[in-house]
Amino acid sequence: MSPGVAGNLALVLGFVLTGTGLLLSVLAWWAKDARYVEAAKRAAVVSFLASLLAFAALEWALLTDDFSIAYTAENHSTKSPTWVKFATLWAALEGSILLWATLQALYTLLAARRLRDVWMAPAVLGTLFGVQLFFFGVLLFVTNPFTPVPNPPTEGPGPNPLLQNHWMMAVHPVLMYLGFVGISVPFAYAVAAMLARRYQSWVAETRWWTLVAFGFLTAGIFAGGWWSYEVLGWGGYWAWDPVENASFIPWLLLAGFLHTAMVQERRGMFKSWNFTYITLAFAATVFGTFLTRSGVIQSVHAFADGPVGPVFLGFLLLVLLVGFGLLSRVSAEVRDLGGISLLSREGLLLGGSLVFATMAFVVVLGTLFPLIVEAVRGDEVSVGAPFFDTVFAPLGAALLLLMGAAPLLPWGRVDPFAARALSFMLSALALFTALSLFLGAGFGVALGVGLFAYNLVAVVAQGARGVGAWRRKGEGYLAALLRYLARARRPVGAQIVHFGVALAALAIVFSQAYRVDAQKTLEIGERAVVAGLPLTLRRLEARDEGFRFAVVAEVEVSGAGRMYPRLHYYPTMNSPLAAPHVRYGIYHDDYLILQAFDTEEGRWATLRMVRTPMVLWLWVAGGIILFGVFYIVSPGFARAARGSEVTA
Amino acid sequence: MRLLWPLVFFAFAFAQTPTGEPPPDLPPEVFRIASELRCPVCQGESAAESNAGVSQEMRRQIAEMLRQGKSAEEIKRYFVERYGEWILYAPPKRGINWLLWLAPLIGLLVFGFGFWRYLAEAGRREAELELSDEELKALERRLEGE
Repeated sequence: MSPGVAGNLALVLGFVLTGTGLLLSVLAWWAKDARYVEAAKRAAVVSFLASLLAFAALEWALLTDDFSIAYTAENHSTKSPTWVKFATLWAALEGSILLWATLQALYTLLAARRLRDVWMAPAVLGTLFGVQLFFFGVLLFVTNPFTPVPNPPTEGPGPNPLLQNHWMMAVHPVLMYLGFVGISVPFAYAVAAMLARRYQSWVAETRWWTLVAFGFLTAGIFAGGWWSYEVLGWGGYWAWDPVENASFIPWLLLAGFLHTAMVQERRGMFKSWNFTYITLAFAATVFGTFLTRSGVIQSVHAFADGPVGPVFLGFLLLVLLVGFGLLSRVSAEVRDLGGISLLSREGLLLGGSLVFATMAFVVVLGTLFPLIVEAVRGDEVSVGAPFFDTVFAPLGAALLLLMGAAPLLPWGRVDPFAARALSFMLSALALFTALSLFLGAGFGVALGVGLFAYNLVAVVAQGARGVGAWRRKGEGYLAALLRYLARARRPVGAQIVHFGVALAALAIVFSQAYRVDAQKTLEIGERAVVAGLPLTLRRLEARDEGFRFAVVAEVEVSGAGRMYPRLHYYPTMNSPLAAPHVRYGIYHDDYLILQAFDTEEGRWATLRMVRTPMVLWLWVAGGIILFGVFYIVSPGFARAARGSEVTA
Repeated sequence: MRLLWPLVFFAFAFAQTPTGEPPPDLPPEVFRIASELRCPVCQGESAAESNAGVSQEMRRQIAEMLRQGKSAEEIKRYFVERYGEWILYAPPKRGINWLLWLAPLIGLLVFGFGFWRYLAEAGRREAELELSDEELKALERRLEGE
């Protein structure tokens, strides 16, 4: 047997088994017979095994340099290092759809293991199998990676060089897809809740899944930013590129959902809003794929255009049709009641949710605006970083204000402790904003510093409140702190996440405001001050690294060692890729790029120096946010593995 | 290692500036202006990020115009005249573009109105559920009477 045959067999098997699972779920729903549910759960196990088999078959082809199938012939090279060969599976379209299908099958399996509600189980499984069937269908009929090649080549071009340039590329897409696919579980629960008319409980039941998806999505976005910083060679981490936006939209909607979901959980309100949120968040993951794989929008990420555009558009419409079709029923039947005072936890949670929804709307409109204008007026416009930066600044500030206050307030009212804490926070905001202005910062930066101080006080106040509650029960300081940390996983985790977000905002403000770029050509041995840093060009060297050529400049930074920016020449690219040398620092990063060099005699090199403050803290903030999410979900992992009820 | 230079040169000479001249030295201001302009031949990169020939040329022109004492606005206008408004990454605030610039406000108003309508409705329903004192007494009388 060859990898191609094994892969096709696995795909057919996976398609049939998934279809069987869907059929069994529908039967279980109609016949109201739990035995069909049990059978469908087995279908989830075997269809996952089939997807694993397909995944293994493609890895087999990649790792053994088998060029008899389309995917390897088009995207593989025998010269790649082993880790690149392994990660080539998700470096192009067909393979990444296979990864997506495999992860979907994994989530279907995990979700099936812990289904308890007999009324909802068939519909949850049915929805997940439906989504899974779509991906197997795409693999089998639209972009089959195992399509046989009549005359197999002996060598291929290898994956896109941008993806080979950094190990992060092996990680970032997997995290991203784990996040995207994770949203399918709360979505499936929501659909089931609407079908079974059990409108209230699904939000609490899927809290753990929502947070897991949110964590992976956050990790994926930060990993992507870091990759962009280390590889794209322009010294930035976020460019408001359509593909970045496409990953940001579901993140924003999921964040908004997380916050209104708390109001539903506690007060039974906003049922139809939450249903809308999760439908849109799931639709946004499909929308992003459509947007970036259909060629309707130009992007640096357009690694793989293919025929999947119309298929994903169809699937997107189907998701929206199902979601909003059910929603019309919900809004006819659900009669939420109750009042909400704006100055209460739920009031501020709603405010936050409002800002998240608005941000998502702005990103969608900004990304599609060039298409809209072209369709309406035939003109071409560009919407990029200068626009998004401008409009996101006030929205971000509003979010930071709400974020500090909401967790401090009790449900339904303001109490004296919260009022006192709020006055401290607002004083810190005023004081630090004024101080920064006095020290010569611009208004944006000053406000950023003020809001960071405001949130820092908020985190301390919230901790003091939690510890104080245990102190009043007669615990010592340390014991009270430990008990608070161990018992109040949700508030503590949320506090950690919020602190991470405040730090990330501060890092973004500083790195945007005080970044300095400069370019300078130096002769070998020449010394000059570039962007405030004294540099001496020591040497230029060319190296044949097998799968690429590298030109390395050795640059001495006076009193601070040497840096080695490189240019990489890949056989498949007609222009070189810069591999910058990044030196991370507590205050600022030094980012040195080899821009050009003397190709004839190697006597000069053009260097570009980027000094950006606080970028390191952005990555630290990402780690803190992830730790906070992990702090909340971690007790659930063991329970998920045992298949028992998970509550976060 | 010296032997490799001709190889690199032959394979990739076209990636370099055609004249063999080194690229010009650029102060930070150039990159700040270039980051607001689109690289005309790239897929979604600004003239500050991209290393395409056109972007390098644009950065050179910006440096040149700065040396001539032109302001950032004048420089941007120069590129708009050459390439059209498409070259600007922040569309000018007029006409249909207002829809874009006002998007945050539109979003806040539309979603805020939605939330407000929803809350008004939910509050009204709750109020309807509550009984007035007279209704309560009437019900009590009925219960006692039965």
